[in-house]
Amino acid sequence: MWINMGPQHPMTHGLWNLRVKVDGETIVDAQPEVGYLHRGIEKICEGRTYTQIIPITDRLCYGSSLTWSHLYCLTAEDLMGVEVPERAEYIRVAAIEMQRIASHLMWLAAYATDLGLMLGFLHAMRDREVFIDLLQALSGSRLTYNYPRIGGVAHDIPPNFERDSLRACAYIENRLREYEDLYEGSRVFMMRNVGVGLLKKEDAINLGVTGPPLRACGVNYDLRKEMPYSVYPEIDFQPAVHPAGDCYARYRVRMDEMYESCKIIRQAIQKMPKGKWRVVAPRNAPVGTGMGRVEDPRGEGMMYIVGDGTDKPYRMKVRSPIFVTVSAAPRMLIGYKVADVVAIMGGLDMCIGETDR
Amino acid sequence: MNLFDFCYGIIHWLVDLINNIWYWLGDFLPWWFGDFFTAVGDFAASHGHIAVMAILLEVIIIIAIALINVLNFIWLDRKFMGRMFDFYGPYYVGYKIGGWLQNLADGIKLFVKEIITPAKADKVGFLLGPVIYVGSSFLALATIPLGRQFYVGTNTDLASTGVGASALIAFAFFAIAPFSILIAGWSSNNKYTLIGGMRSAAQMMSYEIPMLLTVASVFLLAGSFGFMDIVAAQHDIWFGIPLFIGLVTFIVCLAAEVEIQPFDLPEAEAELVEGWTTEYCGMRFGLFMMTGYLRGYIGGALATALFLGGWHGPAFLPDPIWFLIKAYTVFVLIEWARWSLPRVRVDQILDIGWKRLLPLAILNLMIAVAVKSMGWF
Amino acid sequence: MEERGKRSSAEGMESAVGGADDVSEEKVFRALLDSFPATVTDFKKLRAGVLRARIDRRDLHGACVFLRDSLGFEHISMISAVEYEGRFEVVYHVASWKHRLLLELITTTPKDDPSVDSVSSVWGGANWQEREAYDLMGIRFNNHPKLERILLPKDYLYHPLRKDFKGGD
Repeated sequence: MWINMGPQHPMTHGLWNLRVKVDGETIVDAQPEVGYLHRGIEKICEGRTYTQIIPITDRLCYGSSLTWSHLYCLTAEDLMGVEVPERAEYIRVAAIEMQRIASHLMWLAAYATDLGLMLGFLHAMRDREVFIDLLQALSGSRLTYNYPRIGGVAHDIPPNFERDSLRACAYIENRLREYEDLYEGSRVFMMRNVGVGLLKKEDAINLGVTGPPLRACGVNYDLRKEMPYSVYPEIDFQPAVHPAGDCYARYRVRMDEMYESCKIIRQAIQKMPKGKWRVVAPRNAPVGTGMGRVEDPRGEGMMYIVGDGTDKPYRMKVRSPIFVTVSAAPRMLIGYKVADVVAIMGGLDMCIGETDR
Repeated sequence: MNLFDFCYGIIHWLVDLINNIWYWLGDFLPWWFGDFFTAVGDFAASHGHIAVMAILLEVIIIIAIALINVLNFIWLDRKFMGRMFDFYGPYYVGYKIGGWLQNLADGIKLFVKEIITPAKADKVGFLLGPVIYVGSSFLALATIPLGRQFYVGTNTDLASTGVGASALIAFAFFAIAPFSILIAGWSSNNKYTLIGGMRSAAQMMSYEIPMLLTVASVFLLAGSFGFMDIVAAQHDIWFGIPLFIGLVTFIVCLAAEVEIQPFDLPEAEAELVEGWTTEYCGMRFGLFMMTGYLRGYIGGALATALFLGGWHGPAFLPDPIWFLIKAYTVFVLIEWARWSLPRVRVDQILDIGWKRLLPLAILNLMIAVAVKSMGWF
Repeated sequence: MEERGKRSSAEGMESAVGGADDVSEEKVFRALLDSFPATVTDFKKLRAGVLRARIDRRDLHGACVFLRDSLGFEHISMISAVEYEGRFEVVYHVASWKHRLLLELITTTPKDDPSVDSVSSVWGGANWQEREAYDLMGIRFNNHPKLERILLPKDYLYHPLRKDFKGGD
């Protein structure tokens, strides 16, 4: 019996369709279908100037919009050859790590509801608020920030931002320990997670899975470490890796990444130099290509921009991590139960905005 | 004076009152019609008629108490959930009484919503599902006594013990629900409801067995199938103390029977949308939801009567109050687990039922046998 | 501390970063040139760890197998199709985690026959990206297991990322 889980289904976190073939309660085949939220962002961007694209790229992912506008600015700077002031780099690093924590907390919230734990949803969303407030103080908005600029960031940091960030980090570290007690202390949670959705390391590498699902397979690969961008080389942190390859490993990797993000925020705040936070970028891009690669909260985000000498990009291509990761979903799903679908797909942290673009 | 006597008295008084007027009216009529009048009046004043009316009144009282308790439970559930989840819960509707009126508002909303039957659904089964579910749950309520004098009695002779084998009857009606869920899930013609119905059937069937085994141990100790005798036997010590394992097993099974969170697979909203209630809307869904809480109340009442000493408690509060306090405590305990645990998987729930709870239930039965054979009860 | 014990860490994990057998940019280029002397052109180092090479579309599949098996490029990051005057370019961003390299492999296909060999048998991650390139740009990938539209409806008539697509009709 084929079951359509989606396009409108509590499991989907957005608008996509997972067709699963079940034999009783066991999944024997799965077929993800995406494209319900395709907005043609790549085509839209061809008709806009480089500055106008920044808010568009914010709309790529509602969970972590800052990462995408940051990635776009990185790519455009690569294309135009703009040097970003160091202060701006540190501000960006602090901001995208806050965004990463917010995104992971949103994942935690959604994951808890997927497993039937409303308690986790509301508490994680409440703690996400702390970081949303910080980003609001930084940029002025709460979901789509429109904060990075080509050649820096839009504003300098607001007063007391350092103090608030450090407080937020201390707060979230305490809360994360509580979450660990709440989740890992619960036998039911462990029963639902350990050994569910196993993905072999070779499969994960071959299928192009990136980000936390890949690191949960025991592959120590984090773009912030391996191909550092921005000022990540000067910051001391450990990528979170777990060898198991199941849902629990994905949960563990994301939790550890939040601890690491706190460390990164602290260092970025401490090392932030005085100086300019923005340089003026040229209006027109040269003929050529620019490429940027970042570690999105969901995996490897990548952009490729072809410039033709005008003020509009000739072609812009976005690599969405989830678009590739979800194509590996059948490999994780087959053989498990219907109830495990929510755990496995929830563990991938689907974000349809970036998947369908 | 028990509930039956009370109702009998009220009905008797009312019938007398009406009959006075009735006979007085009959005086004005011609003799052949007046005789008929008198005959009707005599019938109305006869013992059998008044007893039937009294039973109906008892049923109305019991159902009203149950429904008020359901409203309380929904409110308590929401408030407790809000307390745990860091929000207020119901607040504005009935501000002065803690948002208690929110349930009534929700009920009114559900009443005025359109009832949609899916075009390809089996009409009869789709209608029958909620009817059986609600009906059987209310029937289970009928035999549970709330106090020494507070139960549905049928006649003054039997009044001392209530309905015979009342506990068996209650469990029999309590166990009808899986069929109605299966009917509802099947006739909705929807894959989610079908899976939900199947899960519900599997789950309830497999949890009936440990549940009834623990109940059997109580029957063994009390030496009776009736609630009155079971509660009376707990005058010195609650059965929950020697049969603590049984109490725990019973409450876990209860959570599975009334489909409460860690075991609410049949309506697992994450994977099955709303499970077997997916296609129901309006008041039909409202009935399902209300009956879910009603079953929570019945479950709490059963646990109270069987294990927690029923209405036994210090005498400064009347029996039904003690009974309700204990039932509420059990319910809140179940809700606590409900809001702090994720949902288990369908194979795991069967594992828990067959591999954990069934051995525990048998162990509990052995303890009961040992205690009984030592002559302590 | 107890919590630290529970936490996963990179210690004891096989590091993805290579040590002694570091393949430098030149080595990659030389190996590619030796294996496909006639078809690999226009080698350029864009910045540290990022290379670019052009390859004729006849040799694309062979080159990708060679890249994966001999040079350790185990990850395909992105496949982008770009339309130019008179030609399409398909850009493969292939990454090697061991050697911290990213290779931008560009192949060209004419407009009247936009087709290249599929690399989804080499890297499973290429499967959906090739479908996407087919969907939006209309490039056919030979030997692809399931070359269907993925983002747009199945009965859609156009390839909207082409420059002659105006939309609306």
